[in-house]
Amino acid sequence: MRALPYDDPGRPDLRTPGRFLWWIAAQQKAPLAAGLLWGTVWMVSQALIPVAVGRGIAHGVVDGEGRALLAWSGAVLLLALIQAGAGVLRHRCAVANWLQASFRAAQLIGHHTALTGEALPRAVPTGEVVSTVSNDAMRLGGAFDVSARFAGAIASYVVIAVVLLRISTGLGLLVLIGVPLLTAGLGVLIKPLQRRQSAQREQSGKLTTLGADTVSGLRVLRGIGGEQTFVERYRRRSQQVRARGVEVAGVQATLDAAQVLLPGVFVVLVTWLGARLAVQGRIDLGDLVTFYGLSAFLVTPLRTATEALDKVTQAHVGARKIIAVLRVTPGVLDRTGHQRSDPVTDAALHDPTSGVTLRPGVMTAVVSARPEESAALADRLGRFTEVPSSPVLIGAERIDVLPLASVRRHVVVSESDPRLFSGPLREQLVGASGADDVAVLRAVDTAAAHDVLDALPDGLDSDVEERGRSFSGGQRQRLTLVRALLTDAPTLVLVEPTSAVDAHTEARIAGRLRAHRAGRTTVVMTASPLLLDQVDHVVFLDGGELAAEGTHRELLATHRDYRRTVVRGEDE
Amino acid sequence: MSTSLPVAGPDTVRREATVLLREHRRSLVGVLGLHGLAAVAGLAGPALLGRLVDDVRRGVGMDTVDRIALVLAAAIVLQTGLTWAARRQSFVLGEKVFAQLREQFVERVVALPLSTVERAGTGDLVTRTTRDVDALSHTVRFAVPTILVAGLTTVLTVAAAFVTGALVALAVVVGVPLLWAGTRWYLRRAPAGYLAEMASYAVLNGTVTENVDGARTVEALSLGRERRSRVDRDLERSYHAERYTLWLRSVWFPTVEVGYFLPVAATLLWGGWLASNGHATVGQVTAVTLYVLALMDPVDQLLSWLDEIQVGASAFARIIGIADVPDDRAPTGAVPADDLIRARDVRYAYREGHDVLDGISLDLRPGERLAVVGPSGAGKSTLGRMLAGIHGPRTGSVEVGGVPLVDLTLEQLRGHVALVTQEHHVFVGSLADNLRLARPLADDAALRAALDAVDALNWADRLPQGLDTEVGSGGHELTPPQAQQLALARLVLNDPHTLVLDEATSLLDPRAARHLERSLSAVLAGRTVLAIAHRLHTAHDADRVAVVEDGRISEIGTHDELIATGGPYARLWASWTDTPVASERP
Repeated sequence: MRALPYDDPGRPDLRTPGRFLWWIAAQQKAPLAAGLLWGTVWMVSQALIPVAVGRGIAHGVVDGEGRALLAWSGAVLLLALIQAGAGVLRHRCAVANWLQASFRAAQLIGHHTALTGEALPRAVPTGEVVSTVSNDAMRLGGAFDVSARFAGAIASYVVIAVVLLRISTGLGLLVLIGVPLLTAGLGVLIKPLQRRQSAQREQSGKLTTLGADTVSGLRVLRGIGGEQTFVERYRRRSQQVRARGVEVAGVQATLDAAQVLLPGVFVVLVTWLGARLAVQGRIDLGDLVTFYGLSAFLVTPLRTATEALDKVTQAHVGARKIIAVLRVTPGVLDRTGHQRSDPVTDAALHDPTSGVTLRPGVMTAVVSARPEESAALADRLGRFTEVPSSPVLIGAERIDVLPLASVRRHVVVSESDPRLFSGPLREQLVGASGADDVAVLRAVDTAAAHDVLDALPDGLDSDVEERGRSFSGGQRQRLTLVRALLTDAPTLVLVEPTSAVDAHTEARIAGRLRAHRAGRTTVVMTASPLLLDQVDHVVFLDGGELAAEGTHRELLATHRDYRRTVVRGEDE
Repeated sequence: MSTSLPVAGPDTVRREATVLLREHRRSLVGVLGLHGLAAVAGLAGPALLGRLVDDVRRGVGMDTVDRIALVLAAAIVLQTGLTWAARRQSFVLGEKVFAQLREQFVERVVALPLSTVERAGTGDLVTRTTRDVDALSHTVRFAVPTILVAGLTTVLTVAAAFVTGALVALAVVVGVPLLWAGTRWYLRRAPAGYLAEMASYAVLNGTVTENVDGARTVEALSLGRERRSRVDRDLERSYHAERYTLWLRSVWFPTVEVGYFLPVAATLLWGGWLASNGHATVGQVTAVTLYVLALMDPVDQLLSWLDEIQVGASAFARIIGIADVPDDRAPTGAVPADDLIRARDVRYAYREGHDVLDGISLDLRPGERLAVVGPSGAGKSTLGRMLAGIHGPRTGSVEVGGVPLVDLTLEQLRGHVALVTQEHHVFVGSLADNLRLARPLADDAALRAALDAVDALNWADRLPQGLDTEVGSGGHELTPPQAQQLALARLVLNDPHTLVLDEATSLLDPRAARHLERSLSAVLAGRTVLAIAHRLHTAHDADRVAVVEDGRISEIGTHDELIATGGPYARLWASWTDTPVASERP
């Protein structure tokens, strides 16, 4: 069995759900084929057991031949052993097929979520994305799981028909023609069932989303109240889903009853006609037993075929949801392919929108009366938003024609509230940089984050909880600063890097930051005098445009608006 | 995930399942009765065939054959009708029970203690709400009914075999040892295996949630590759868990299947021997053999659904495990005499033996603004959470009007004191729904007034459907500052007399700080405020300042008093004012 996950889940065909399923099937031809083989051996040997029993009754019991009795009992046992062996191989293939299909889909989605950036949560609610992994990918696997049994169902149907044909042409034809008709009949019954089921599933999906949303906001809910409102809303929806379920129940029961009635008709017809043949002496009693046994066994392939139809439909529904997620493209696209070189590391950055120029190797602070203007500048510099008419220039190059990956390496923007992820802290801090512990400790020192490490039971080896929740805001901010520093980016843009730390710590960070970043370009969006006093150059934005620039002290002395922005709260 | 939520033990699972069965006993008995009758009708086949065999051997006419076939047809029709009724009833019952379970679960989730919610990751909870509830749905709606029916049919079939020919039917016991031993072996190992599977999927879901949630960070720091290998690692763990349970089934399935077919061969052999010695008729041997053969279907059903039951039981254990979280509050029903918040000799430790707070006593004066300053890690935030009643102290007490905060229900607590955090989840629903969380009975006018108070009415009115606009995930997207104003408006509706404001985690998203400050001060006006200050000007503006160092209040007083004392605060202030900002202040 193939070890999972895949090294590379591949590039799926996203045109339609059907094509997507087909593409997945094409990736796992061998296990599918093996599943078909063992499924066939398994169910055919099961189907042959009534034949052996019939012969045993005819020769061993009716004729009373001891050796024949022994031989046919042995044949039953042998068939039992074969079907058990083939059965377990069939099951292993089915699970392999299920896992490979499900995991490929889950892997595709998981990888996709790591690549699409903010475009995905904007297009599809987080809960639904997670549900494509937790539910839809698994449902999709169901179709591949059932394939082996479905093959067995087809094969055993053919075998049964052939056995009957050899004994009685009429009976054989009855089964040969009747079974597909029955399956088609059940298929007709299934249609309304599936319609109602899918209506119920949709409702219950919404219910799940509602539940997941409630859980995600649980901290707020517990802090501020409204639990009862939520419970009532959930209960109302839940009862609606239940009402839909009751509608489904009627149809489902009809289908189940049909699965008794339709094969039952076979049993009656085959037994009746068989008995008449036996009375006429045209078949022996063993054949009559075989007829009965086979017609009773027909339930199994019939039910399997029905189940397969259902599983495939579910997989189709799941595939549609998965495709919707996989089709989301990043908001900012790479237009280059790979032909362009990296941006020149010692070039100046120029933003025509604001008129700001960032000189290379210099630590610049951007101050704005409205912090969102600084944040917007950071977004433009990092190419998180695009201004097609006047893009940021790195040297003489337009940022939007440079390879996106190299822009991301060249300009790292650390937003004001970056996320920490769960996992070992070292891994979190080092990220893509591959920095060693010496570098990590140096960055920890710059970010004045030693106390955070000291408080952890295993230092850098400690586990970070989801979203870094066990840390205080100030601790989290310093850790994300460490992470940003460790990228060692030629240009580092820090948006309000010290807004949540106390004045003391901020002063320490301000003093160390410039030395740490010596020789590289650093931009700090801030209004904190402690930081401003330490930078080489200050740019003041008014209405999103460059209003003044110089050193902090120059601007303090000469620019009234600047002074008011920076020393706010100091002068009432 | 270092702090996972509890999973219920086998005893609890059994107890809760029993309670559930007992509660629905009458419907259950009805459903089983119908299924039993349907199964009995289904048993007519082999018996009638046995009759046929004996009759044909004796040489009867066509009319006897036709009559028997007619009885067989009638049995089938009867079985069909009974099956329809039984299935319908059992589906309806399944829907009812499952709806009850999921509603109960959500009720329990939203009642989780605040301190637990603060610590446990949402990934685990989301998995329980989605995957586990889904798995349980499958179990309750399909697996349990099928198992019950298959079990019943098995028993009735065996009984029919014995009634037809007790001596012949004895052969059926040769299958029992294999079935017993194999299943026992499997069931001992399976639950742990399935639990591990589900836990591994919980981790995977957490990773995907983080990817979507932290999309911007992933993009900004080029963490795509790391996040991808993270997904792969999680999948690998799930794969190993799946491999383990597959191995279990690879042993169990063939054992039991042989255990089932062995009796067919044995019945044939034994019955043939009995018939040749005149101890049984050919018809008896035929009927019993066919009964044993007919066992294949119900036993196969039992077999393939038993592990669904295992999966369901695991899911059930995780779902009801929520109830095992001990409550962190013990409401006594006492009513606070006034609005005075008072802390006495408060000590608290996150790790045993490491007190973060070391005997703090503090009285909040009504209407005052008290700033708490001190270096990072001194315990300011912990003190804040203590005074907001989120955790109880290890020793000592925090009381409002003479009643410990942890003796109040959360509903009561919220009317007294609230912790202002930066967390601003916008729930799926209308804007009005989002506001009414804080006060369910508030009318539109009150909602609008609250929005107006935080300066948010303007944009709220400009939304496509005003207050009825669907917001949250999938709806109209609110900007972070809007979401924060929404959070503030909820506070206005909550109307506590005391607020604990932690600058580290409070509404200081710098992108919107300036605008939000006005909203915030509107909320703070007229309330007692404990501000955990990182900016000394916050302290300067406060009525009193408390300096927290090493888990103790080292000094407390007005700004001017503390400056005059020349203690730690005065030194802190001096270092702040020594910066050029102050020296060049106009």
